[in-house]
Amino acid sequence: MRGRPWVAALTLGLSIIVAAVPLMGADSPGTPDGYALLAEASRLVQEERLAEAVAVLRKIPAPAPGEDAGLFVRSRIDAAKILLGLGDLDGASASCHEVLALLPSNLEAKNLLNEIRDARTPRWVKFLRDMKTYLPTLLRATGMTLLLVLATMLISPVAGLAIALGRISRMRVVSGVFWCYIWVFRGTPLLLQLFFIYYGLPSLGVTLEPLTAAILGLGLNYSAYLAEIIRGAIESIDAGQMEAAKALGMTYWQAMRRIIIPQTYRRLVPPVGNEFIALIKDTALVSTIAMVELMRAANQIYSATFNVFILFQAAIVYLVLTSFFTVAFRRLEDALGVYEIR
Amino acid sequence: MIELRGIVKRYGRLVALDHVDLSIAEGERIVIIGPSGSGKTTLLRTINFLETIDEGEILFDGRPAGYRQDRKGRLVLEKQRVICALRSQIGMVFQHFHLFPHMTVLENVMEGPVTVKRTPREEARALALDLIGKVGLMDKKDVYPAFLSGGQKQRVAIARALAMRPRLMLFDEPTSALDPELVGEVFTAIKALAAEGMTMVIVTHQMGFAREMADRVIFMDNARFIYEGSPVEVFSGEMANPRVKAFLESVL
Repeated sequence: MRGRPWVAALTLGLSIIVAAVPLMGADSPGTPDGYALLAEASRLVQEERLAEAVAVLRKIPAPAPGEDAGLFVRSRIDAAKILLGLGDLDGASASCHEVLALLPSNLEAKNLLNEIRDARTPRWVKFLRDMKTYLPTLLRATGMTLLLVLATMLISPVAGLAIALGRISRMRVVSGVFWCYIWVFRGTPLLLQLFFIYYGLPSLGVTLEPLTAAILGLGLNYSAYLAEIIRGAIESIDAGQMEAAKALGMTYWQAMRRIIIPQTYRRLVPPVGNEFIALIKDTALVSTIAMVELMRAANQIYSATFNVFILFQAAIVYLVLTSFFTVAFRRLEDALGVYEIR
Repeated sequence: MIELRGIVKRYGRLVALDHVDLSIAEGERIVIIGPSGSGKTTLLRTINFLETIDEGEILFDGRPAGYRQDRKGRLVLEKQRVICALRSQIGMVFQHFHLFPHMTVLENVMEGPVTVKRTPREEARALALDLIGKVGLMDKKDVYPAFLSGGQKQRVAIARALAMRPRLMLFDEPTSALDPELVGEVFTAIKALAAEGMTMVIVTHQMGFAREMADRVIFMDNARFIYEGSPVEVFSGEMANPRVKAFLESVL
């Protein structure tokens, strides 16, 4: 309410009319004074002389026992609204209590008191209250983000390895097919791929659950990226390794499985870790295909509360996730490097 | 045991092997010498099919092996299974060792028998330990190659090749990548092998070693055998062939 005097002015103007209408007909002798004071207050509010308006309203006396209380209640409620708008919370509260002393169940006064209490509450308390309300939603959404990340982390290295091996095949057709795959999935936006899978496939007769579509989209996209990384790692292994394996009598696949691929693991960790960090953030894109994950949930809560802190909170969750994986990959790299001198 | 007949190998317009014939008998030790780029290493690599030939034939125990002709009459390598079976009978030691860096010494030596021959692990392990002992590296059996000296690496490479129980060993400049003080230990290992009667073909630039080891010395130049003879003939200092003479004078 603070800083919005026009709201108070408007409600005051309206309430004068509302209060006056039923009384006009009633022929009660002591009241014309009251009407004059209300009109005076209304004029003062229009001139933005709010403090004076309150003073005028307060001149309307409490009704004698048995007398109609309408005019008095109006005046005190309106005074409270103006005071709330001015930021005088104690004054507003006192004005409401005057009404409640007379009519203990007056709803308007009670609502106003709630509003006053809300205005008294510090922002951080409100934030904590919102947090408590929305924490379960946020946690569930974090779980969903984590599920998407882990599913993609399981699928994409395996699929990526298969694609990489296809890509380095000496059979032109095989290598061409996988080249195309990488070309398409690296060359178009992930957002577009997700849209195509979720909104486009149904027109081809394939309808997917949002979760399935999200995992499929992320998996296909990240497989393409990882395939290129894995191919690079395989090709970076000294050609002598393949020769030594062949000289022992190994087949191509035995050499790949036993000698070449195991040597790529440590080299793969830094670039693949990098991709997975990007993945954690890219999961936010699936919020566009009806998935409630961290980003979507934060957005929804923000819309409901207009509390910017919820966005900070989401940012912190993302940071915790990325930090965790950064450290984990660092450890993994060290663990896989036991056979190297450092 | 193995015979090469009329071998021709070309890289584009460059001729790397120009109608070379070589017959390797059981228990024989052949040393190939000659200037760089003369085709020594290429010849060695054709014996275990790491290089494919364009003309000629290779015979194992008198029978053509490893190649068939396609419809246009060109030589093509046999199916992988056939080639692998042939290769597994031949051990090879490389100039740059090519040990498997992600495996310990023991694992390197066990790898061939376990993966290629499907030898049970325990049996392969016993064999590997025996060979590691023979090349004097028992205390290094659980060490990764990165932590070994060049000489130690090459001795492991020898043990790794021997673990396949090959009929023939190929050495491609086994000491060229070593510091001079480490050459001796590798020669000792090869000599011990020779004493057991192993058939071997060695490419080397170490003339002293060639003289000591060889039953037969082959001098290659320009993709051809220029001279073949006993070490006494080659190294006696009375070499009649002027090219061989010039080469020997330049390296000795």
